[in-house]
Amino acid sequence: MPGGIAFEFPQLYFTGLWLTIQISVLGLLGALVLGTLVAVLRVSPIAPLGWIGAAYVEFFRNTPLVALLFFLFLGLPLIGLRFSTDTFENIFRAAAVGMGLYHGAYVAEVVRGGLLGVDRGQIEAARSLGLSYAQMLRYVQLPQTFRSVIPPLGNIGIALVKNTSLASTIGVAELLYAAEIVESRTFRAEEAFIAATLLYLVLTIPLGIAVNALERRMLVAR
Amino acid sequence: MRPDTWPMFLNPAIWGFLFEGLRETIYIALASVAVSFPVGLLFALGRLSRRRWIRWPSTFYIEGVRALPVLLLIAYFGIKGSALFRPIFGQDFELPLFWAGVLGLSMYTSAVLAEIIRAGTVSLPRGQSEAARALGLSHAQTMRSVILPQALRLMVPAMMAQLTTVIKDTSLVGTIGVFELLRQGRTIYTQFFNPVEVLLIVATVYFVICFALSRASRRFELGYTPRAARIKIQDIALRDQAA
Repeated sequence: MPGGIAFEFPQLYFTGLWLTIQISVLGLLGALVLGTLVAVLRVSPIAPLGWIGAAYVEFFRNTPLVALLFFLFLGLPLIGLRFSTDTFENIFRAAAVGMGLYHGAYVAEVVRGGLLGVDRGQIEAARSLGLSYAQMLRYVQLPQTFRSVIPPLGNIGIALVKNTSLASTIGVAELLYAAEIVESRTFRAEEAFIAATLLYLVLTIPLGIAVNALERRMLVAR
Repeated sequence: MRPDTWPMFLNPAIWGFLFEGLRETIYIALASVAVSFPVGLLFALGRLSRRRWIRWPSTFYIEGVRALPVLLLIAYFGIKGSALFRPIFGQDFELPLFWAGVLGLSMYTSAVLAEIIRAGTVSLPRGQSEAARALGLSHAQTMRSVILPQALRLMVPAMMAQLTTVIKDTSLVGTIGVFELLRQGRTIYTQFFNPVEVLLIVATVYFVICFALSRASRRFELGYTPRAARIKIQDIALRDQAA
């Protein structure tokens, strides 16, 4: 049975799968919060805030994620910042933070597109009714962006799940790491990697189907 | 941060060392693009084919590979690349790690390029292919002289955007032992114990290249792209940007 090797080393594979899921969920939550904040900065009427947002987005979109992960795990402790005193906890948190920071830039672009897509008349009407800028964002502009940004956010989620594999480079024992360990113990490379492949597909394929279905519905609705 | 680490970057030898890595990075990216463009074009045509026995395997390849992490492909070819080619090139064949990395990266990029090209052909107005067929061109002729030239032209910006992803992804090839830019940087900071400075410099180099490329890609935009094609391209850009 393809992938059967996962049941010979359940400790490695299923702990790995669980770590992958944890990093994905934490990273996605971080990316959503950060991305929305940055998007709000980018559309804000105060120019310097917009520049900060743009700098964030362009920097993280144009540098490799591995470099960021190495920075978080090796560089920060030297400046005196450490996520945790426990080594394993430290690399796990570094990976989750890295995922959030990196994908936050992509989320920010998507949410910004959604915010700019809201009709200007809506914003002007809300302001002239006496809502403050923050209230207008909270009650008028942000709620209207949610619908249009859900399918692209799903795509970012898929990319994020795949990119958690990079956490193996800083030593997080996630799925790909499990496959590499099993390969080095058994020399059964095909089986080891196919097992990891199947477990990744278990995560990405349902996400992909959900995104496509949502997208089709949104296309009809808009 | 150690106080004495910045002055060491006055030494040209350090920059020469990083430059070697940068050259390797550019070679990996160019080789991957050169391999994955024809392969991607082939799979795009396969997926557009009307014959089921061509269409289904092509679709399976494209969707399957796109659902996988690039690093997994690179790691696999890094370990088993030589063994895969031994039946062809003889028992002593050793696949250089450079080509193992290019193989993994190209496999992924070809699937993405295939999707980009397909998005381009699908977004053309139906009238184009109908007119070509009505003029008596065969399906193959229609593809070659009418659809593909327009579709490829339309997709130049998307393909250039994918090139920036490829350049960022070359940093993954370092994990199997190819001395590209990030890997050279790691060698320097393990020697001098200054990851903050080195990683900032390396990140800046990647940033300059990728930023310039993504800026340049906007200049190739043709005026009007249909909305369905734009959504499809955004999907690809978001889902298939890896590291």
